[in-house]
Amino acid sequence: MTMRYVTVWCPDWPVVAAGVAAEVPAVVLHANRVVARSPAAAAQGVLQGQRRRSAQQCCPDVVLLDHDPDRDARAFEPVVRAVGRFAPRLEVVEPGWLCLDARGPSRYFGGDQSLAKQLMSAVRAHAGPVAVGVGVADGRFASAVAARRAVGGRGPIIVDPGGSAAFLDRLPVAWLQHVGEADAELVGLFARMGLARLGDLAALPAGDVLARFGPAGRHAHRVASADDDRRANAEDPPPERRVEQCFDDPVVQVQPLVFVGKHLADQLVAELATEGQVCTRLVVTAETEHGERTERAWYRAAGLSAPAMVERVRWQLDGWMEAGNVSAGVVLLRLAPDEVRGDDGDQLRLWGGPSAADERAARAVTRLAGMVGDDGVLVPAWHGGRLPGDRYGWVPASTTDLTDPDDTAQRLRPDLSGPWPGSLPAPSPAVVQPEAQTATLTDANGELVQVSGRGELSAPPARLTIGDRPAQTVTGWAGPWPLDERWWEPPRHRRLARLQVVTADGTAHLVLAEHRNWWVAASYG
Amino acid sequence: MLAAMDLAAAVAPTTLARQRTLPVSNPLIPLFPDGALVRGRAVSCQGVAATSLALALAAEPTTAGAWVAVVDVPWLGVEAAVELGIPLERLVRVDPGLSGSRSEWADLVGAVLDGFEVVVTRLPRHLSATVARRVQARVQAREAVLIAVGSSLSAAGRGPLPLDLTLEATTAVWEGVEQGWGCLRGRRVTVTSTGRRVPRPRQVELWLPGPGGGVAAIEEREDVDVEPVLLSAG
Repeated sequence: MTMRYVTVWCPDWPVVAAGVAAEVPAVVLHANRVVARSPAAAAQGVLQGQRRRSAQQCCPDVVLLDHDPDRDARAFEPVVRAVGRFAPRLEVVEPGWLCLDARGPSRYFGGDQSLAKQLMSAVRAHAGPVAVGVGVADGRFASAVAARRAVGGRGPIIVDPGGSAAFLDRLPVAWLQHVGEADAELVGLFARMGLARLGDLAALPAGDVLARFGPAGRHAHRVASADDDRRANAEDPPPERRVEQCFDDPVVQVQPLVFVGKHLADQLVAELATEGQVCTRLVVTAETEHGERTERAWYRAAGLSAPAMVERVRWQLDGWMEAGNVSAGVVLLRLAPDEVRGDDGDQLRLWGGPSAADERAARAVTRLAGMVGDDGVLVPAWHGGRLPGDRYGWVPASTTDLTDPDDTAQRLRPDLSGPWPGSLPAPSPAVVQPEAQTATLTDANGELVQVSGRGELSAPPARLTIGDRPAQTVTGWAGPWPLDERWWEPPRHRRLARLQVVTADGTAHLVLAEHRNWWVAASYG
Repeated sequence: MLAAMDLAAAVAPTTLARQRTLPVSNPLIPLFPDGALVRGRAVSCQGVAATSLALALAAEPTTAGAWVAVVDVPWLGVEAAVELGIPLERLVRVDPGLSGSRSEWADLVGAVLDGFEVVVTRLPRHLSATVARRVQARVQAREAVLIAVGSSLSAAGRGPLPLDLTLEATTAVWEGVEQGWGCLRGRRVTVTSTGRRVPRPRQVELWLPGPGGGVAAIEEREDVDVEPVLLSAG
């Protein structure tokens, strides 16, 4: 018997949490991509997942905000508490997304419709006039889809008991990805195989789906058929699975508790992993000396990793302590896995991504761009050329997503990189000044060395003077290697000769003759 | 003999220094007393091969996954960086621009250290002792490595930033270019490491860069049929 759930969904919660009014166009960015946008920005064409520059093109005066999950969680706390008064069995998926068991509260409030309306007004009372969608249906997935579809519509969407399959039938398979029940790869695969709608997927025999798509596909199939939202291999773990820590000295600050929470989470994940399981629903409990208690369930269809658990512990404790309900120190912290499922290895795909070092660097880059400007933080990009400094150019880091390997590959290794005949072989010079320095190359008689049109030197070079520095004796030289680039494009036409010159102090330079003058293009430093 | 050494390494207690290090490419290992770059330290690269040395040092940690930031080094040659082994996916350049006040540099380096484990930078000409200590403390707290290049470090003094290690190419001989023919093939250098972390100065002979652009150890060669032009850098 599938349980009946009501989902409360606040779209673009990060923007709401940042305190931006609905009529101000604003976006929340994470790693240079749009994570959430305000209604005004959406109206101007800003899409989720867009790059920052694209968003700015759609809407030039959009306000840019940083992604701050802690801020989102803190802002969502009052809403969670308000909704918690309606129902005991509440679970938070992420800030902006709640799920409740519908049966009890529905009976109490006289029906699903009435319950949904009460929830909407409760959310609006604590979060302001935000867009909120409420959906009631059998199964978590159908309820979540209903809530998303209810946003901006004519009110909550109530799917009749037993009507979930019909409700989901005509909807596109992309919904599996929106709600987090399947990843983009699997959904793409379904689409390519002609399964455009959830009904198409549900119509396939379960055994065939399992054989062809594996456990992830089987789960998607069950969810699409509104069969049972819990995974086939989900079960309730015995009570002794929970991990807890009692404190002899009550702890007043959140940070040490989170630190302990990290150890508990690592322990729990390790224990579950030895059984090949991962936790999908976690209950976090904390108690103070005076008996005050916070207990909340956190749900995630894909399973909670240790960092995800720690994040939620921090959100819960932050919210609880900030609300001022705490008059003493905490003596107990407990993590209890409420629902687990077999670990199909899905997790790796969903969370294999940028490493911690990549994320750290990307965050630092954003901060540095704020300090020195966008043009002060640069990354190399392939350009192509023969002269030093031509092959790679520098582009602002804000135009790229440093954590996206496809983006980086595109930037650094283009598909067409020709042979560039005429370029000098390795080793390349390490010192390439942004502006070529003027130089004087003289022969043994002190006369300026000239390069003829046929690429011959007037005399062997004897002394090299770079800029204001003292003249150096030339101990070795090679060239001249003429270069006639882009003769078909007069503005960019370059005609020059290159020499490698080694001087008495042990340095080597790449010296150019262009327009009858000598320049030092680069030094081998 | 080798097996016994492996066993010894396996049963030896792991010291803090060995765990908290960043790797260094093989030819450069003899320059470091710990055989690697110890995190939290500041290394300076001086002399004619300073930039190449700095890039060569940064190559191995970045290949292993660390990110390198190049702060206020506008003369960086990217092709040389690639040839010396730095993966460009993890290279970021920070240009403070024309304003170069020392407090801004310190704030900038501080922000850079938050996200990058290897920082290559030019030290500002004048640095007050307080600012230098702040930067050093930050480097240690972040367990990063600061590599200083540039001419603001005189041969005698080192400026107020306490440097743990100084690397300098004391002799440099370019090979491949003669009187009007050839092409630069490689540079044989003798790199010396000195400093307060090096009880006795260490020396190693290297190709920096070698044929192909990377750092390599000098191997015995028979085809020395031309007289190398011997230069000694002061």
